[in-house]
Amino acid sequence: MAATTNKNLIFRLGGIGFLLDLDHVVEVVEQIAEILDPSRSDIGRGIVSALKFRKTWIPVVDPALKLGLISSVKIKEKTALVLQGIEGNWAILVDQVVELSSGEHLRLCDTPFLLKVSAMGCYSELLLLNNEPLVVFEPERHYGSDFVPV
Amino acid sequence: MKRFGLFQLGTLDFALSLQQIQKVIQDSKLYQLPRLPLAVAAVLVDNDRLVPLLDLSLLFGGGSTTGTKTLRYQILVESEYGTVALPAELTGKIVAEKKGTLSTEASPKEAWVIGEFDYQNTKYKILDINFLAIEMTQNFWRNKPDTSGARRHPL
Repeated sequence: MAATTNKNLIFRLGGIGFLLDLDHVVEVVEQIAEILDPSRSDIGRGIVSALKFRKTWIPVVDPALKLGLISSVKIKEKTALVLQGIEGNWAILVDQVVELSSGEHLRLCDTPFLLKVSAMGCYSELLLLNNEPLVVFEPERHYGSDFVPV
Repeated sequence: MKRFGLFQLGTLDFALSLQQIQKVIQDSKLYQLPRLPLAVAAVLVDNDRLVPLLDLSLLFGGGSTTGTKTLRYQILVESEYGTVALPAELTGKIVAEKKGTLSTEASPKEAWVIGEFDYQNTKYKILDINFLAIEMTQNFWRNKPDTSGARRHPL
């Protein structure tokens, strides 16, 4: 069964596959070392750095912190996904962008009852792609007016 | 006639009621998810459903999550709260109760044991799968007896 008809971006972070609705994505920036300023952080709001994007500085969030993931990729070697937000553009850092996927290859997958508590606050939906569970990335959990710091 | 599945993991010889065992799978691919409980080593996918793999090495303090993930066999077991997977080193034996000696005395030191099955001079601990499923997935796991016994399930 197709879970969605939208195009999705699949990325990896801390060894886990995530799926992000392409409608959220403004641009994928792969070389960030020269345009990243970690001194402009606001950890209380989950912001680890600022990224120069289209002649302005935008906040950068590392989802690994909220999700409790350990990434082996150094911050300046990560890929930034610039996302649309209510307050303007912002970016997340990911280890690797894998591919674009259409919804037709995805299958819905329930979060097991026994893992619902641990999933709370991190994700609410899982999908299967080629029998691999992918976490549906929900940007509003990480930045913006609904963001709750951990 | 009651039958048991007998398995081994490190220094732990354990038994499960055959009624609880759904299947034994080999070399299943294991995946991580964000904020998995400490006693859940990974998840596996079986027939489009996710199954948490419990880190049974914590029961005898003789291993690690990494070790659990490299084991080749996973036993899918039915608990009252959903299916869980247990790691095992060998494909087990299925033995009828009358072939061994069954003791249903609870262990005061091991709250996750609901009895013992003695078969060919090996004592297999009968796991309380409902207790383990809840304790290990809800971050209650302390590897210490629960003095209240409130979550224990009879054999």
